[in-house]
Amino acid sequence: MKPKIAFFDFASCEGCQLAILNVEDALLDLLERVDIVEFREALSEKAPRYDIAFIEGSIHREEDADRLRDIRARSRVLVALGACAAIGNVQARSNATAPAVNLARVYGEEARDRVQTDPDHWPLWAHTRVRPISDVVEVDYYLRGCPVVPAEFVKLVTALIAGSEPRFAREPVCTECKRAGNLCVFARGETCLGQVTWAGCGAICVTQGYRCDGCRGLLPGANLEAHRQILRDAGLDDATIDDRYDLFCSAQRQPQQRRGAGPGGHAR
Amino acid sequence: MRRAIVATEEATLAWIAGLANERLVDFPQTGPAGGLRFARTSPDDRLTFADYRPTVLPPGKTFAPANEVLFTFAHQADGSFRATPIIDRRPRVLAGVRPCDLAAIALMDHVNRDGDHPDPHYLARREATTIVAYRCSKPCSDRCFCAAVGSLDSDEGADILLTPVDDALLAEARTPTGEALMADLDGTPVDDPAPLVARHRAARPQPFGRQLPGSPDDLPAALERSWSSPLWETHTARCLSCGTCNLVCPTCYCFDTHDEVDLADPNEGHRCRDWDSCMLPEFAVVADGHDFRPTVASRQRHRVKRKFEYLQQKFDSRPFCVGCGRCGAQCTADIDIFDIASDVLKQHGGTP
Ligand code: SF4
Ligand code: SF4
Ligand code: SF4
Ligand code: SF4
Repeated sequence: MKPKIAFFDFASCEGCQLAILNVEDALLDLLERVDIVEFREALSEKAPRYDIAFIEGSIHREEDADRLRDIRARSRVLVALGACAAIGNVQARSNATAPAVNLARVYGEEARDRVQTDPDHWPLWAHTRVRPISDVVEVDYYLRGCPVVPAEFVKLVTALIAGSEPRFAREPVCTECKRAGNLCVFARGETCLGQVTWAGCGAICVTQGYRCDGCRGLLPGANLEAHRQILRDAGLDDATIDDRYDLFCSAQRQPQQRRGAGPGGHAR
Repeated sequence: MRRAIVATEEATLAWIAGLANERLVDFPQTGPAGGLRFARTSPDDRLTFADYRPTVLPPGKTFAPANEVLFTFAHQADGSFRATPIIDRRPRVLAGVRPCDLAAIALMDHVNRDGDHPDPHYLARREATTIVAYRCSKPCSDRCFCAAVGSLDSDEGADILLTPVDDALLAEARTPTGEALMADLDGTPVDDPAPLVARHRAARPQPFGRQLPGSPDDLPAALERSWSSPLWETHTARCLSCGTCNLVCPTCYCFDTHDEVDLADPNEGHRCRDWDSCMLPEFAVVADGHDFRPTVASRQRHRVKRKFEYLQQKFDSRPFCVGCGRCGAQCTADIDIFDIASDVLKQHGGTP
């Protein structure tokens, strides 16, 4: 029997699912080998159990957490698909401000007051904290990035079908940047987060002339103290540096309790 | 005596560009986001020797590229197993190779040919490549220390050696391949190139590039004495363990391999090889999770000892650091092997 694969989305732009739909060559081969049983972007069949569940998006409400736990209970392997699921992404920055402030900022003061007084709107009030999925359930594998790298998706699925362990290097973006022969962004007098960011993207942003902003998440064990000093030496003040880290990685920097494996490893 | 001529720079560059009509030619050119790289040329590219600064990656790395498929494999229906090596023998010209990088290529030839495990992939590319080297008249950057480690005058491995003399170039064929390639380069024949080479050397600045506070010959012993020196911690406090210093070094050759199976047919796949780096935290992790170089200081010490002690003893050769200055220049934490070697010599170099 072909393995059953499912995709679920929580708070996200669904860009990662789209990125996967774009791997046309591999998609045909993939469909030969697996059954895709749930895919919001593509079809609407349902199945009771999944061999591989891909979770896109961050968790905001308790009902989302419950849905995720239910998916976990029905899945053999659970994969975080993209930065929202893996590290909370940009939306986790809202954790740094009080929910009331966020609500007022986004929907206006009237809306803020209503969610606190009108029982019909209370569920919205429960949207209090943005969490990566590893805060809620055990995560087996992480496909990082905003969006994910389609080749990593293919690699993971191929390995899981073949019963082998997929290999995702635990190293910073600089390694791929140097293998690509790029001149370092710092040599242009600019700054970069590549030294402390999980590789796997092929340093695509630097290769295309930009810099690394860290969408794949902070590498566990990275020497952030030294990195901060390097950014200071390059002329950034501490507030700017915090902003740069927080763009994608604020949830990794917030002290919190983790219930799952944490975004530290790819391995089980 | 093989052919030697004096040619104009213009004629020489036009000749190199013209070689691309019939072969693959790699020459230092500015990449899309800045930075020099050895890149494939086409016959109408405008090449130049001017404004040379060290390429991000050294040219010798092209003999064992960053990511390479070593062989494809298949489990066949009859139960047998087939592996098909992928060997790249396309003739190629590597032109504009500087002396430090030439010295590094000679060392890598040694490692890959005479070491414990001759590497057919490296050797095939290497043997299909003709090297046109170019001698430096001035230090390429404020980081270079080629003269201090004795690589500035290296010529081993060059098929053709270009030496700037006054406003022209002395072109010497060093091998039959080089001689054949040089047939199309017009110039004035020279009977004895030695006086011209001497003139080139006399015109170089003195001292040339950075100088160590002692002889590199003393480094192996000094490094041995430095094992528990606090200098390793001092020099690595800012290290990010990013691997850059290894990946840009012309004599770093460590790699990792892994297999990838095909999505369409899991009985088929290929074995990949990627550059590795001993500065990465997981490099020395072995079975059961034991890490025999757990601290960044121990990894840096290992790297420096590879460059100035272990390998030169193992291969009975010159130092494996050829002084190109790439690692120090490209380290965003400003950790420079020149500074480390200097401190090792100063603090552990024996009698002053
Ligand atoms: S540009 Fe960024 S990723 Fe590339 S080597 Fe420099 S710091 Fe690392
Ligand atoms: S390049 Fe610098 S920061 Fe990176 S591993 Fe080497 S010494 Fe450390
Ligand atoms: S150790 Fe540094 S200076 Fe020495 S050869 Fe390697 S990159 Fe060049
Ligand atoms: S390090 Fe020396 S030999 Fe190498 S390019 Fe610079 S000046 Fe030339």
